[in-house]
Amino acid sequence: MTVPALLLHLLVFPGLLFLVSWSLALEWVDRKVAARMQSRVGPPPLQPLADFVKLLGKEVIQPGGAGGRVLGLAPLLSFASVATAFLLLPVSGSSPLGFQGDLVVALYLLTVPTVALLLVGWSSSNVFAAVGGVRAVTQMFIYEVPFYLALLGPALLAGSWSVSGIVEWQAGRPWMGILQPVGLLVGLVGLQAKLERTPFDIPEAETEIVAGPLTELTGRRLAVMHLAKDALLAAGCALLAALFLGGPLRPFSAALPGAVEGFLWFAAKTLLLLLVLSTMRAATARIRIDQLDAWGWKVLCSLALAQMALVPFLASWME
Amino acid sequence: MAEVLVPIGPQHPALKEPVSFRVWADGEVIVRLEMDVSYNHRGIEKGAEQRDFHRTLPLLERICGICSHSHTTVFAKGIEALMQVEAPPRARAIRTVVAELERVHSHLLWLGVAAHEVGFNTLFMWTWRDREAVQDVLEALTGNRVNYGINAVGGVRRDWPPDLVSTALDRVAPLGDRVRLYADMVAREKTMLARFTGVGKLTREQVLAYGAVGPTARASGVDYDVRRDDPYLDYARLPWKVITDDHGDVLGRTLVRVGELHESLNMIQVLLRDLPPGEIRAKVPRTAPPGEFLSRYEAPRGELVHFLRTNGTDRAERVDVRTPTMANWTSVAMALRGRWLADIPVIVAAIDPCLSCTSRVSLADPEGRDRGGMTWDELREHGIRFYAEGRHER
Amino acid sequence: MTAPADLARVASVLEGLGTAEAVPGPRIRFTTTAGNLREAVRRALSGLDLDHFIQIGSVDTGKAIELHYHFTGPHRAVVTVAVALPREGTRAPSLADLLPPAGLLERQVHDLMGVEFDGHPALDRFILNEDWPAGEHPLRKDWKPREGAFYGGVRDAAPGPGGG
Repeated sequence: MTVPALLLHLLVFPGLLFLVSWSLALEWVDRKVAARMQSRVGPPPLQPLADFVKLLGKEVIQPGGAGGRVLGLAPLLSFASVATAFLLLPVSGSSPLGFQGDLVVALYLLTVPTVALLLVGWSSSNVFAAVGGVRAVTQMFIYEVPFYLALLGPALLAGSWSVSGIVEWQAGRPWMGILQPVGLLVGLVGLQAKLERTPFDIPEAETEIVAGPLTELTGRRLAVMHLAKDALLAAGCALLAALFLGGPLRPFSAALPGAVEGFLWFAAKTLLLLLVLSTMRAATARIRIDQLDAWGWKVLCSLALAQMALVPFLASWME
Repeated sequence: MAEVLVPIGPQHPALKEPVSFRVWADGEVIVRLEMDVSYNHRGIEKGAEQRDFHRTLPLLERICGICSHSHTTVFAKGIEALMQVEAPPRARAIRTVVAELERVHSHLLWLGVAAHEVGFNTLFMWTWRDREAVQDVLEALTGNRVNYGINAVGGVRRDWPPDLVSTALDRVAPLGDRVRLYADMVAREKTMLARFTGVGKLTREQVLAYGAVGPTARASGVDYDVRRDDPYLDYARLPWKVITDDHGDVLGRTLVRVGELHESLNMIQVLLRDLPPGEIRAKVPRTAPPGEFLSRYEAPRGELVHFLRTNGTDRAERVDVRTPTMANWTSVAMALRGRWLADIPVIVAAIDPCLSCTSRVSLADPEGRDRGGMTWDELREHGIRFYAEGRHER
Repeated sequence: MTAPADLARVASVLEGLGTAEAVPGPRIRFTTTAGNLREAVRRALSGLDLDHFIQIGSVDTGKAIELHYHFTGPHRAVVTVAVALPREGTRAPSLADLLPPAGLLERQVHDLMGVEFDGHPALDRFILNEDWPAGEHPLRKDWKPREGAFYGGVRDAAPGPGGG
């Protein structure tokens, strides 16, 4: 890859510029869909951007006794991690930056925002933020195990630890979502928990702990944290789309399509996954952390393990 | 983990009105709490002693923004009893219709708030949208959406022409289907059931001991409803039944309220189809003879009581208001102990607290050492018991 | 339904503690003294099937402070135990241990009417703010705001910290 091409890839497509606009667009779709389900009008398309710009211009308030450096850096760290992970995912074709093991790297990078939330909550010197931060990490320990198990299923079956490699394996074969439907389901639920959306918005439960870890974030810190959350939504959907729905692949096609067609397929699959996530958000109430604990380990984790156990049989059957 | 103090209120997203809970939590479990139910003092009881009866009525209407009609009706019916006059049948029917419409809009509001407290915003939006329809009907019938101003001592202030009544009937009729939909959602939506079932549990004995009233009491199988026990307005001649439930938790309180919505909608339609003709206001004397009257009323939140004393002048000597929320606080304090932090909003919301009612004579109490007026030892004892239960349920 | 709490039954259960009369409502009012209040309520609770405590109604008649403890039960009859207390040195025994909800109501009456409840576990300010002048009870008939006294809220004259 030449230097200009690399820069273009990092900064424009599918890098920074695309990621920001794509994330804000997904946020709009999510808000609009949920609003229509709740018989509300919903926001206009540019509302997420307007919110972001407005927050950027707001005063940053530093609470007394809070760790200013952590509050300032954690949102940037979150966004940077998610943006890096997004570069490894196939958007219009195989990612040129991909390598064997990039799946593991992406999964680790996508965990950073949660850890950042703990740091923010802990150093906010605010009891709601602290409780929220602890809840965020508690929740992480519950959903990460089944989420990872579900996402490693495709890797094991394809025999590749590269996201793009798994996509290429699916070309000409049934998609992983058809071979491992339970894995897709667990992955979706895990992603919803990772994004801290209803019914898993326990760390940010407005009526209980105000805004959780975000309580003391203001101005551009809050703006970047929200952006990181949106980017996580985009990256999470892209990851699931690549692992289970063949990413940029056209259905029933053995070859990777051209860049434009590949992107359209990627976008369609992302929106489909988002629709499921939005519906889940609109159709449920928030559960309690103890209920998530019980359900996550007993049901979600067992399902993921069962799916894993089927992978060797699937592999021998495929051959 | 060390106990942490979580201040819920006086400003907090879960609260729509100022109240302060100082909650000591061990991680996520409530160890003890102090309550401060004030911040909203307006001196209404004192003001009611200094105005004549007709000017007191609009003042009492402003005790509460949700059950405004309850406060004026209970006062008007008490003063009428002391004056030994009776409101004409048409006025009584009109008062009953407004009272039941008020109950419908209050319960719909509650259902939305309860859903919002557990993060189920879809139900919140839906119920509040239907509540708009009820408020539109109230506006058409009385001229106002919140403080209806329909009551007067001796009757009502506004007559309803037949076409208005038929429009109101048309608008109320479809609400029954919506309520059935919500009842279905409450009974089947798993995440909501998980948050409502077994939460804020009160046994029949506890309800009676702590003096809880209204849907909170009826959800624990306590069969008290002033509309039947001490009939006023038109309730004695209307077809309806008292809804009780034996869950004793937030789910039970929800089911009771949903049941009452059906009863109320039915009563409204029966009354509107057959409004008695005649006068809407009786002639009343300027003064009331000396006497006392305990005026009771079933407000949407439970038994509302005005203890009235007259002294032969045109002013009341004393208007002592005991609101349903005041009666329910003790049970809330007991139901919260040993529960999860996450249960606070929904347990508090489950009594449908109306703080401006409760603290109409209140100012502030930031110290609030006493919790619910019980002794330390009693609280400790209850706490240990509830704590054990909470642990057990995990 | 259990046996109705009619006038004769109230009089017989509470015999020797005061006088019972029927008042409009319909309601039975039993007038007793501060010394007999606890005994009267205890006997009424057990002997008259009163399981629901409604309210403490308080009245300043100008001559005395009256407290009216309203009860009802499964028979739906309302029974009131009433006491009249002197306006100076107004004291009554607390019922917070017999009736848990009375704890809050007594604190309310204490604030507004200036009744001291003996034996209340924590008769703290409940509805008056902490900077309300001590010894002023706004629902007493002779209470008037004193000129120059501060009753809470924002002080007009004194500039706040950093303001002015």
